[in-house]
Amino acid sequence: MSILVVAEHDHSTLKSATLHAVAACGKLGGDIHLLVAGHNARGAAEAPQLAGQLAENVAALIVNIAGPYSHIVLPATGFGKNIAPRVAASLDVAQVSDIMSVESPDTFIRPIYAGNAFATVQSKDAKKVITVRTTAFDAVVPEGGHAAIEDVAAPPGFEGIELLGQELTKSDRPELTSARIIISGGRGLQKGENFKMLEALADKLNAAIGASRAAVDAGFVPNDYQVGQTGKIVAPDLYIAVGISGAIQHLAGMKDSKVIVAINKDPEAPIFQIADYGLVGDLFEIVPALTAELSST
Amino acid sequence: MSTYHAPLNDIRFVLNELAGLEQVGKLPGYEEATPDTVEAILEQAAKFASEVLDPLNAVGDREGARLTEGGTVKTPTGFKDAYAQFIASGWNGLTKNPDFGGQGLPQLVATAVEEMWHGANLAFALCPLLTQGAIEAIELVGSDVQKAKFMPKMVEGVWTGTMNLTEPQAGSDLAAVRTRAVPQADGTYKLYGQKIFITYGEQDYTENIIHLVLARTPTAPEGVKGISLFIVPKFMVNDDGSVGARNDVHCVSLEHKLGIHASPTAVLAYGDHGGAVGYLIGEENRGLEYMFIMMNLARYSVGIEGIGIAERAYQRGLAYARDRVQGRAPGLDNAAPTQTILQHPDVRRMLLTMKALTEAMRAVACVTGSAIDHAHRDPDPAARKRHKAFVDFMIPIVKGCSTEVSQEVTSLGIQVHGGMGYIEETGAAQHFRDARITTIYEGTTGIQANDLIGRKTARDGGTVARAILGECTKVAIELSKSADANLKAIGAELASAAEALHGAVDWVVASYGAKPRAAHAAAVPYLKLWGVVAGGWQMARGAQVAARRLAEGKGDATFYRGKIATARFYAESLLPQATGLARAIAGGSEAVLALADEQF
Amino acid sequence: MKVLIPVKRVVDFNVKVRVKPDGSGVDTANVKMSMNPFDEIAVEEAVRLKEKGIASELVAISCGVAACQETLRTALALGADRAILIETNAELQPLAVAKLLKAIVDKETPQLVILGKQAIDDDSNQTGQMLAALLGWPQATFASKVDIAGGKATVKREVDGGLETVAMVLPAVITTDLRLNEPRYATLPNIMKAKKKPLDVVKPDALGVDVAPRLATLKVVEPPKRKGGGKVADVKELVAKLRSEAKVIS
Repeated sequence: MSILVVAEHDHSTLKSATLHAVAACGKLGGDIHLLVAGHNARGAAEAPQLAGQLAENVAALIVNIAGPYSHIVLPATGFGKNIAPRVAASLDVAQVSDIMSVESPDTFIRPIYAGNAFATVQSKDAKKVITVRTTAFDAVVPEGGHAAIEDVAAPPGFEGIELLGQELTKSDRPELTSARIIISGGRGLQKGENFKMLEALADKLNAAIGASRAAVDAGFVPNDYQVGQTGKIVAPDLYIAVGISGAIQHLAGMKDSKVIVAINKDPEAPIFQIADYGLVGDLFEIVPALTAELSST
Repeated sequence: MSTYHAPLNDIRFVLNELAGLEQVGKLPGYEEATPDTVEAILEQAAKFASEVLDPLNAVGDREGARLTEGGTVKTPTGFKDAYAQFIASGWNGLTKNPDFGGQGLPQLVATAVEEMWHGANLAFALCPLLTQGAIEAIELVGSDVQKAKFMPKMVEGVWTGTMNLTEPQAGSDLAAVRTRAVPQADGTYKLYGQKIFITYGEQDYTENIIHLVLARTPTAPEGVKGISLFIVPKFMVNDDGSVGARNDVHCVSLEHKLGIHASPTAVLAYGDHGGAVGYLIGEENRGLEYMFIMMNLARYSVGIEGIGIAERAYQRGLAYARDRVQGRAPGLDNAAPTQTILQHPDVRRMLLTMKALTEAMRAVACVTGSAIDHAHRDPDPAARKRHKAFVDFMIPIVKGCSTEVSQEVTSLGIQVHGGMGYIEETGAAQHFRDARITTIYEGTTGIQANDLIGRKTARDGGTVARAILGECTKVAIELSKSADANLKAIGAELASAAEALHGAVDWVVASYGAKPRAAHAAAVPYLKLWGVVAGGWQMARGAQVAARRLAEGKGDATFYRGKIATARFYAESLLPQATGLARAIAGGSEAVLALADEQF
Repeated sequence: MKVLIPVKRVVDFNVKVRVKPDGSGVDTANVKMSMNPFDEIAVEEAVRLKEKGIASELVAISCGVAACQETLRTALALGADRAILIETNAELQPLAVAKLLKAIVDKETPQLVILGKQAIDDDSNQTGQMLAALLGWPQATFASKVDIAGGKATVKREVDGGLETVAMVLPAVITTDLRLNEPRYATLPNIMKAKKKPLDVVKPDALGVDVAPRLATLKVVEPPKRKGGGKVADVKELVAKLRSEAKVIS
């Protein structure tokens, strides 16, 4: 039995999501093969048509080499979610999305209903196509590798789709979905410019900035800051909720965080019920004090 | 965090099982109201109420409507957009005549939908409610020209309507109206005077406002028989329908109120700058008569307000009780040191009282709504007449009792929260404050009760009252004979409550002419007695249907069992009030009058 | 141009789902159901394409129980021209749905299929991509902007860390993300007109599709409850605890 992990990378380095996906495979057992589908990536599959990593091309390549593998594993990121179902349908197998746990080689636990229930599912297909919730598995340490590197030929490029460009949001901050620490602001911030206060704290902690739907609705910050059932679902090591009351839809997006800190002036705010460390008080005093405390020690 | 969600399951149950939606849909002209269309309407209205109107409810309370310089009004953040969305979605014309752009749906459907608007945002929903009344008046007695000129835009909602009755010296007593209407050579009138308490008398939602105004012509007789009804647009309307010059009606002040802060309550000055142009509706001196035709529906709608706000208060209280952990509930085999307050018997009693009263009033209102439709459209003239009599009798009860119930329910809503309920941020207090107006406007509870004892009960010697009560007693007897212990218990309580009410009807009929002051002193208890019994009657019918559905093994058993349990609670905990009220009516009214003025 | 819009009936966004005590799944009996919110966005986008004169006919499709007709009526009220229900009481998984949709696409030959990126019940995020694979069509998932001109769809996609723009030759599949548009509310006149629009019902057998599930759900449980409720007195204590107790900051 061997496993094919499809690497997420930028043609020079592996993205951390790959390391989490590999970690999940450790629990499946069997040889792990890593497919690096790219261009000028010194990796396995090399072809100009793979430069854009379009689902049509990457999926076709995976399907071509899928023969010997029992499992085909991708991270449940924008990259993996785009490609995996295309692979699964081409192989006429079901896909198991967003697994959080490996119970056995054919049985997995995955969240449904925005994490309000966990389903244990068993795949009846000979091949399992899986995407892995990266926050659920600790990353493997990328060192000491000794695997052979083998080239595979890429199938011809898919006609009918062309990558025109990418506009990556310019930010030195980590991405919301992969940040180890997230600081989120809610309606309690009162206006968009008060998010600057959170930025100062985020700089200290190398944290990403998020927001509740209320803050996004009020126009304080753009949509892509939104953490919640309809926004980003995050599970960082540390989630600091500032001026967020804790509507159920928000909790759905962050309650898997390993440690939750809540700062709110209303002691009855539901956010405190799930916070490991709650601090009741005026966020306009607490946040600067916290930034200062982290600077001083 | 607690928000309003339309109680669709309860509403469906009442529409389908108690109010006969299917039969209403078979009346000529209501064929569009098929069960699946109504279901889609309810779903979409619920969505609009929760997603558009509800989020503005607290904002509206905090910000309130403000008078700005130049006599214009700024409504709270978001209200103008929500109104634009409301009318763009076609909700304004739900029951209106299709000839003028309405959808011509039955009142029964409107009752369900309006409850959602009121529950989500009472202050917002008042605006379409008032427009509806004004449309009704123009449609009933306006000329063809007036209808063509004003109705399409009002039905669409791009112009709103208001009702200008009250003046500083003329509140419940409209005979005291002093606003003058002076006839002009061109057939129009010029109005001079001041009107107060004009809901949405000025707003920033629409380009024009159509005021319906009570005023006296120079030759008019004194008293109620000398009042005429006029259309006074804020902006004159050109022949092509476009909006022209500003008319001489101006908002000079907004009231500062206990509740419904988002609804601008205007003082309007007519004719300070030469006279406000008005158009007579119908004939001179018949204004009050027209107003009363239309006021029936307005009163009914205010009753729906009471139900909407009560439902909302219940939802908020329930959500809090499910979450709030406090103390150890007595008598539970539960190792947990503390439980949610929902586990505490008194909190359950309060919530169940709120739920039962709200459901009862909803059922009474919907059954009345269905009768309104039959009274309009039933092909059988005898049936139309019968339904009309029922509607006329029930309207003061729907208005008076639903709104009185909303006082109790929103108050209990605060009580469930304990101290947190008294804090404005919690939101329960707003419902209490908002609900408070409902027993006052469109005729106070006292006015409704006077109508009920006089025009509705005594005038025909109690014939209609006894006929309605007969229907109620029939249900009580059926249930009393049931083998089901729940139904039997409900039947027994209903029978004794109905009997008590019978006695009260006899007393009112006998006393109204003979002892008018005693009869009027007993009027409100009599109204409340009718509310308690009518509610018990409909709850009993609900239990009957639920038991039948359970026996058939159809639908959601948990829901039906809940209906039976709630009806039994109503029967055993609330219906016993009937005998007490009946005793107070027959035996207590003399004492009400016993105190001399100086002894107060 | 004909546009196909698959829509799914799901437990309403606002309902807090409860896991059945026997662990067999989530209790969906007598729970408020609505159109999957991402599919609403797809319907809205299609309606806008029609309003712009780009789309000529909008066909909404749903797969599932008879009650999915309500969801289709909603789509019709929002502006779809006609609807197709593929009616079955069987459990449908994304691969089966993709196959059913493919069968309809083969018959209807639309130029565009637009649907939600995922359903908020099973959160699979698969159907659109699977359909594209089965059809051999290009796909643009997680769309936040769609422009259609000259037989091509130019789509901005939400990717981790930003946006990506792809151009596809039609026919193609697009799946919608949250920022694509804000769906409108159905208007009362359109709700009433919806019932007069055609709604055809077909069975999976008639389409020759085997819908048997490939994944068995062994059990469904509630997520473990976080303890929560801990409080700290001040900033100093917070920082100390985050360092020494939680070990999440250095």
